Amino acid sequence: MNPVNVKPSRLDNPERRVLHKAGILPAVNPLYAQMSHPLDAIFRPLSVAVVGASNAPEKYGHIILKNILDAGFPGPVYPVNPKAREILGRPCARSIADLPPGVDLAVIIIPARTVPQALAEAGQRGIKAAIIISGGFAESGGDGLALQREIVEFTRRTGMRVVGPNCQGVNNPHHGLCASWPLLTQPGEIAVISQSGTVGAALMDWASQERLGCSTFVSLGNRSDVDETDVIDFLAHDPHTRAVAAYLEGVKDLERFRRAVSGCRKPIVILKSGRTAEGRRAAESHTRSLAGRDELYTALFRQLRVHRADSLEDLYDYAKALAYIPRPGGRRILTITSSGGSGILATDWAEWSGLLIAPLPDQVAETLRGLLPSHCIVANPLDLTGDATAALYRKVVDTTQAHVDCQVIIFGDPILDAAEVVTPGASQLVIFLGGADVERRERERMHLKKVPVFPTPERGIRALARLFAYDEAAP
Amino acid sequence: MTAPSSAEDRSRWLPEPEALRLLSGYDLPVIPHRLTTTPEEAGRAARDLGCPVAMKVVASGLVHKSDVGGVRLNIATAEEAAAAFTAILDRLTPDPSRLAIHGILVAKMAAPGTEVIVGMVRDPQFGPAVMVGLGGIFVELYKDVAFRLPPLGLAEARSMFADLRGAPLLSGYRGRPPCDLDVLATCACSVARIAAEHPEIQEIDLNPIIAHERGCTIVDAKVRVRL
Repeated sequence: MNPVNVKPSRLDNPERRVLHKAGILPAVNPLYAQMSHPLDAIFRPLSVAVVGASNAPEKYGHIILKNILDAGFPGPVYPVNPKAREILGRPCARSIADLPPGVDLAVIIIPARTVPQALAEAGQRGIKAAIIISGGFAESGGDGLALQREIVEFTRRTGMRVVGPNCQGVNNPHHGLCASWPLLTQPGEIAVISQSGTVGAALMDWASQERLGCSTFVSLGNRSDVDETDVIDFLAHDPHTRAVAAYLEGVKDLERFRRAVSGCRKPIVILKSGRTAEGRRAAESHTRSLAGRDELYTALFRQLRVHRADSLEDLYDYAKALAYIPRPGGRRILTITSSGGSGILATDWAEWSGLLIAPLPDQVAETLRGLLPSHCIVANPLDLTGDATAALYRKVVDTTQAHVDCQVIIFGDPILDAAEVVTPGASQLVIFLGGADVERRERERMHLKKVPVFPTPERGIRALARLFAYDEAAP
Repeated sequence: MTAPSSAEDRSRWLPEPEALRLLSGYDLPVIPHRLTTTPEEAGRAARDLGCPVAMKVVASGLVHKSDVGGVRLNIATAEEAAAAFTAILDRLTPDPSRLAIHGILVAKMAAPGTEVIVGMVRDPQFGPAVMVGLGGIFVELYKDVAFRLPPLGLAEARSMFADLRGAPLLSGYRGRPPCDLDVLATCACSVARIAAEHPEIQEIDLNPIIAHERGCTIVDAKVRVRL
């Protein structure tokens, strides 16, 4: 007898109740009512089976099941393992055939050679989509190549959508779905797409650590079916995503990619690696010798208005700025700081990044001199000096707001209640450094109210400059 | 001799007169020129085109003409042109008898200006890509070039030149006259069109193009076609 093989009619009601409570059923949440995307079963499943779930705590079959449960997935979760009766307190199905029909998503963590059979069974049981965590496919050559071909043929034949193989899974904190590792649950507005599990997880880890969070994480692995283009198309319509950060080693299908990116109105930042491996060959024409793959990717990204990151930090910073800071009306910035050095650094980077350091209008400067202690330097940067308080910042921010395009607010000391100075959605770049525990606390407060905070003047200003990257300037 | 790569095995460079004819067909501003096969013809061509002229040997498979002594520049009179015809063939290394020589191209010397390069390569994954850059050391030393993937509109083509680090050189740096950026951008667009309409063309290298205050002149062109 199989404890989870419940009749659909009986399963329906408790399942609906749980999902209803969690606000993820179309009937309850109008956000979801409007959407129906082919990748919904992967990113917003109503039920999940973990094929290869395990009682051994060190195995991914255990870790992933545990993360799905600990992240608070609101729908039914079914472990599948022929040898266990129960895993993590959940009754275990012996096989995929024993699952109730119509499970949305199967997360598969079993040896590569058994994966094609599992997919076939999942198809027969009406499972809509799968994430294959297991490695041992195209990346290992030999028999792995043939196994991956089987998966590709299966998805083409059946239309089942498959992420992976050889990947680190999917995480959607807005849906309580952490079919991945590590366990990260902070919801946010940056979506992470990664061809490398670790690189993507690192990004999401930073965002979670800072309490800024992510909207979606997907590790693409070998891209047997779902690729970056499918995910970009999904994210273009995802209400929680405001910017996409992707780590790619290459674009799988250029034509589809061009169409999907052109159709996506959200900013996309891409860190494309493998830039030097493509040896430039000596050639008889200059054009040929200069046309490495990397130059062509640069051209492609520029034409599609994709922001290109040169490092993992850039990828995170650019996405952070593009997701949370509205594009200022112009390039004139005013730096407000408590640290002279940080103000100068910001000014250098602003000049290098094409931002403008506008002098304060005389009348505004006059007003400020009346408001501020005499040792404050009323200029641009406006230096409140080391004894600055949140109240002092507030005065300057309020007085100058209407007179510049963007305020660069640098908290360069442990400034209590700094979070109360900044406004979500305002034309403000916030940089916090040298503030130790106060800084960490205030940064968290700011992130929770959706104001991004950057750790250095350089990183903040360079990220801000991306907002102007595609203002066309004729020669 | 090193074995050519497989891509080059199945392709060849068009003789320069053919390359120039193709470009003219797309209204690209190629230098006035004539292919000559005798010293007398060369002299006549020089007189008709107007001196000074440049002379270049045209032979199948010979791409680096100046490396083998196949190029003479700034020839001042028709008589010198006739003499240069014989001199080029006499001094040519390797032995001319081992080359399939089509003749010697006599071309007008272009007026001085800023050297620019416009090119195209066809990539197996990306398809055609158009490149622009500043000529001479800028392209060789600094690799100061910009690529775009067609289709290429005029505004996008202009932005390619704006992307170059050396862009100020084109817009009148230190009292030099500005270059005709509209015409340069049109050249890039025409190259994109050639790529779109001729899938057999693998590579185009217009290097240099001499950019003037009004217009520009293509003085050297290489076009590689798949066989």
